[in-house]
Amino acid sequence: MSFLEIFQYTRKDSIIHRLDPRSKMLFSVAAAAASLMFLNIIPLLIAFLCLIPIIAAAKSMKRWLRSMKGLSVLLVFIMVFNTLLSPVPNPFSHSVALTIRLVALMTSFSIFFLTVHPDQLSQALIQMHIKFEFAFAMSMAMRYVPTLAQEAYSIMDAQKARGVELDKGNPIRRIRNIIPIIVPLIIVSIRRALSIAESMESRGFGACEKRTYMDRLSFHKGDWVVMSVSIVVLVLVVYVRLFVALPEWMLWSLPL
Amino acid sequence: MIQLDDVYYSYEGLYTALRGVSLEIEDGERVAIMGSNGAGKTTLIKHMNGLLRPQRGHVFLDGRDTRNLSVAEMARIVGLVFQSPDHQLFLDSVHKEVVFGLKNLGFTSEEIEDRCASTLEHLGLTGFAERSPFTLSGGERKRVALACVLATEPRVLALDEPTIGQDAQQKDRLAQLLLDLNQKERTVIVVTHDIEFVIEHFPRTVAMADGRIVADGSTSSVLSNDKVIELCSLAHPQVTLAAKALRQSFPEVPERITSMSQIEEVIMGLLEGGTYS
Repeated sequence: MSFLEIFQYTRKDSIIHRLDPRSKMLFSVAAAAASLMFLNIIPLLIAFLCLIPIIAAAKSMKRWLRSMKGLSVLLVFIMVFNTLLSPVPNPFSHSVALTIRLVALMTSFSIFFLTVHPDQLSQALIQMHIKFEFAFAMSMAMRYVPTLAQEAYSIMDAQKARGVELDKGNPIRRIRNIIPIIVPLIIVSIRRALSIAESMESRGFGACEKRTYMDRLSFHKGDWVVMSVSIVVLVLVVYVRLFVALPEWMLWSLPL
Repeated sequence: MIQLDDVYYSYEGLYTALRGVSLEIEDGERVAIMGSNGAGKTTLIKHMNGLLRPQRGHVFLDGRDTRNLSVAEMARIVGLVFQSPDHQLFLDSVHKEVVFGLKNLGFTSEEIEDRCASTLEHLGLTGFAERSPFTLSGGERKRVALACVLATEPRVLALDEPTIGQDAQQKDRLAQLLLDLNQKERTVIVVTHDIEFVIEHFPRTVAMADGRIVADGSTSSVLSNDKVIELCSLAHPQVTLAAKALRQSFPEVPERITSMSQIEEVIMGLLEGGTYS
């Protein structure tokens, strides 16, 4: 579960944290698009490597590495399955590319989620003329990611105390061991959702049609820079994908 | 026997929950661990079955260092019942839920059925055996969680806040059950804020504040100490308050009264002789 940490907001003071959520949103989309446009190892690697300095600038390298460590089991899984099952000529090379793509995708969105406070997110959505209720639901969802993660740990503890050996046994047994974790997690979440809804209603949620906001977001110089860079990247990758043949070295693939 | 030797634990270096805790619990004891919220009580009992390993110091279970034992091994000896039953229930009948833990610990199927039936009966859950735990009330779910652990008959039973959400009758039944287990030489450890529950049923109390043990001794001495009550943000036992009120009119009423029988004696004394000695 520790890989969820890269989608968890961390209170830090960095250039990336100070950016407007809207510009970061566009940036994440552009970065994700870049990795979705290609299926060759080299371009994906380039897209991925460009993201690393940004994670570092957000002062979240440690957290990112920890999440990747947590994710590694899943990544190996994906690689093995794809290699065995995909019908392309170089299945291993293909699955390596897919894995890099997944990591790059997760990283590009993690830049957004790591650095945007849930309140900022909902404010950004509202200022993009999305209905308050939807924006609120979105920020609530984000707000509960860490709670959910913590809950997952408590559940693991409770099951370990009943003799479930989570990190022992063959892969099938390990997958089966997820059931005693995931079922309570879902049920606890549903129970909590219901009680939050009740307590929100009893505090008058949605009583006023029009509401005002304490903080309003505004664009700064850095945001315009990020926006323009993102648009350029977005246009460039789409253009290259559609109209330019990639040079030979970029199409390099593993022999297997 | 459980021995903690200068145990230190901090959560990811962010927040230190235990700052040098040393504690010895003999076989067959009944011990209450009390303390304010965030004093480190739950962290402490999680060390007893190896869910947490000390970052400094040692925890010994029957003389063996817990660092060398797996949680599953320790779960046979130390049964831990968590605060929230919803963190462990996941099957669609109470019966299956109880069987699950027994299977994990490798009991034979005969033994499993035996233990399951007797535990459910003990906890007044026989009628619920085929019900889904999720359709039960909070207090009932709590008892199911307790049944899951009790069925494994651990030598040491550690319960985190077992009395929350239980009515007076269930509390009495729980106490009776714990006493019965204790009679069979089993160690019972509870973490609780329920001071009356402790006074009535637990001879020894360990008081914690801010990651340290501030008092450890007989319940009456620990809980009649004003300083401990304040440090652990506990409410004075009602009996102690009653004694204090009596003392205003009858200065001969002794201080440090915590149990019902003590105050009964005092009141009877006052009624009989006018003066109590």
